Amino acid sequence: MKQQALAHFTDTYLAAIGFFLFFFVFLGILFWIQRKGAAKHYDYMSHLPLREEERP
Amino acid sequence: MSASNVDTSNRIQIEYDDKIARMFTIATIVWAAIAFTIGVFVAFQIAVWQLNFNTGWLTYGRLRPVHTNANIFAFAGNAIFAGIYHSSQRLLKTRMFSDTLGRLHFWGWQSIIVLAAVTIPLGLTQGKEYAELEWPIDILVALVWVVFAINFFGTLLKRNEKHLYVSIWFYIATVITVGILYIINAISLPVSLFKSYIVFAGIQDALVQWWYGHNAVAFFLTTPFLGLMYYYLPKAVNRPVYSYKLSILHFWSLIFIYIWAGPHHLLNTALPAWLQTLGVIFSVMLWAPSWGGMVNGLLTIRGAWHLLRTEPIVKFFVAAITFYGMGTFEGSLLSIKQVNAIGHYTDWIIGHVHVGTLGWNGFLAFAMIYYLVPKLWKTELYSKKLANIHFWAGLLGILLYYISMLAAGITQSLMWMELDNKGNLVYPEFIETVIRIIPLFYFRAIGGVLFLGGFFLLLYNICKTIRLSPRDLKNDTIQISVSPKAASLSEHGHRRLEGMAVTFSVLALIAIMVGSVIEIVPTLSIHKYITPENKMSSFTPLEQEGRDIYIKEGCHNCHSQMIRTIHPEILRYGHASTVEESMYDRPSQWGSKRTGPDLARLGKKYPDLWHYMHMVNPRAVIKESIMPAYPWLAKKKINFFGIRKKISLLHKMGAPYSEKERADADIMAEVQAHEIAESLKKQGVKENVADKEITALIAYLQALGQKGVQ
Repeated sequence: MKQQALAHFTDTYLAAIGFFLFFFVFLGILFWIQRKGAAKHYDYMSHLPLREEERP
Repeated sequence: MSASNVDTSNRIQIEYDDKIARMFTIATIVWAAIAFTIGVFVAFQIAVWQLNFNTGWLTYGRLRPVHTNANIFAFAGNAIFAGIYHSSQRLLKTRMFSDTLGRLHFWGWQSIIVLAAVTIPLGLTQGKEYAELEWPIDILVALVWVVFAINFFGTLLKRNEKHLYVSIWFYIATVITVGILYIINAISLPVSLFKSYIVFAGIQDALVQWWYGHNAVAFFLTTPFLGLMYYYLPKAVNRPVYSYKLSILHFWSLIFIYIWAGPHHLLNTALPAWLQTLGVIFSVMLWAPSWGGMVNGLLTIRGAWHLLRTEPIVKFFVAAITFYGMGTFEGSLLSIKQVNAIGHYTDWIIGHVHVGTLGWNGFLAFAMIYYLVPKLWKTELYSKKLANIHFWAGLLGILLYYISMLAAGITQSLMWMELDNKGNLVYPEFIETVIRIIPLFYFRAIGGVLFLGGFFLLLYNICKTIRLSPRDLKNDTIQISVSPKAASLSEHGHRRLEGMAVTFSVLALIAIMVGSVIEIVPTLSIHKYITPENKMSSFTPLEQEGRDIYIKEGCHNCHSQMIRTIHPEILRYGHASTVEESMYDRPSQWGSKRTGPDLARLGKKYPDLWHYMHMVNPRAVIKESIMPAYPWLAKKKINFFGIRKKISLLHKMGAPYSEKERADADIMAEVQAHEIAESLKKQGVKENVADKEITALIAYLQALGQKGVQ
């Protein structure tokens, strides 16, 4: 059973699966970061290192 | 959300633990001095063979791993920790989880380095690149890493800043992945306190080794340094990162892709084609996120480019990021099968690595040190002028290093491959291709001297700076308002994700596990790749002992045992290596550099006497050889007593030794050693070498490529 399952791993389409898996993750992130209303948050995030030394 | 609109009555004061950052910073500088100096020394050893002074522990094969380990784990490692301890506290607005764990981490890590610096020159090695440490030290590494992980994740959980800045993600990926890589690659069974055999053999070991090896570059020398870049560069130029969106894309693409790229170290070898293809595809794709990171770094300086003229720190940052861009482009280029056929096993790869380590890691660490030391010691940098000279000396050094190695690598490779119009090799003697590039070895060493000289300026500058610091150093403190750190349901998407450290870590883990599992699990059932008719017999007890001596002396640092599927290579060394030929090799010897020729089919090519003379004085048989002499091999005795235990362990791990071989391994080894010593005597060797290491080594070398069942 295990050997049978493992045998499938050598199929060349695994390389294609790996590629498309990544490609869709990539596209997903690409669209995700463009969400509406995220800009303000990203602005906040990108200023995090600079704001820390403010002594209120 | 911002600090200004909260109730001021809820404020608490937080004091950072800056001492731990100071400790790691000093350790970085001290170890760098040692690691770089050894680097320059081994560079000269390649040019001048006499520089091993006929002494085992001073020989290149043993010192080269000291150089690589010292730079990766001592210099870069301590730099990473200094930066992580300093920046994480500030980004998370909290003190580290535990001061005690921090000290334990510090002293544990330094003791690992000291142990490594003692054991590796003594020849106590697992023979795997960047994973040479023997099993007891490996266990210590794992324990110290766990201490670090607890301290780091503990800090994440007690943080007062809900959102995790991009640097923190890179640190998270580093902590998780390095732990997994290191432990899996080091799994071995001990024969004694100082010797073990790796559980993976042959092709499995080669694949796991380079899955580890490449991802040591990815998750020890890239992701943590990118984290440092995303924090210290904005600080140095007082500007936020150019695009936060790009940094998200950069992070996820990079860690997802990087983990797949390992097989590009094994192109055109006996590795199954589908794995090679995967390695190529993902390595080429890696170019994109890498340059995304580079562009994001460089554009962060937008509007502040004038600082490049006045601030040496910015110079170091810009050069480091540019070298990152060059290195990652070249990495993708070298991963294309046809380009790899030229570059692999040559000095081009050495040049490529040093663009990354000297240029990217070195310069980024220097930038961080120049920024961090005045901050941590509450003073100003002693001399900007010295830092500027350091920059130019270092830059010139790297360029000299890289250009000489690029030229050496391509020249030698083209000579290896050159065919005349009858289809024969133009340079059939390997040594011809070595002589041609020796002058370039000197240029490389001079480049190293320049880089080292520049570094000593840093050392002096930093010592002076620390002298300027006030007597009682106080830790930095901040006032913060207490805010809920748990993710609130009102936030969605990545914003929520950043608020959930655990979920984030799990997702990062999944991203790196996908590639690892798909690539490695199939090869664990090695039988699939082995044709039953081609099965090999295993090494005799004496040959196995010789093999262990071969690994102890670090022969694999200059000699591969893998004939690639490239026509000129087959002409030179014989038919391409098969998976079966290394199926009992623990560890595999596919190699990564040929300063000398490939040895996969060395057996029976020369008489025993040739090998004897070659070991004692290589110039006696190859006039222009640059190999150091190994005269101690003819004096040190073989430990016959320990052979039986080794053979029975190897049998347990799958090598087909008969019951008699296991029971009488030591006797059989002695008998074979006597035969070899007798034949040497007949050929004119005066000393009786029947119990000397050289005899075992000769037995092994004569067995290379002779184990096929024909």
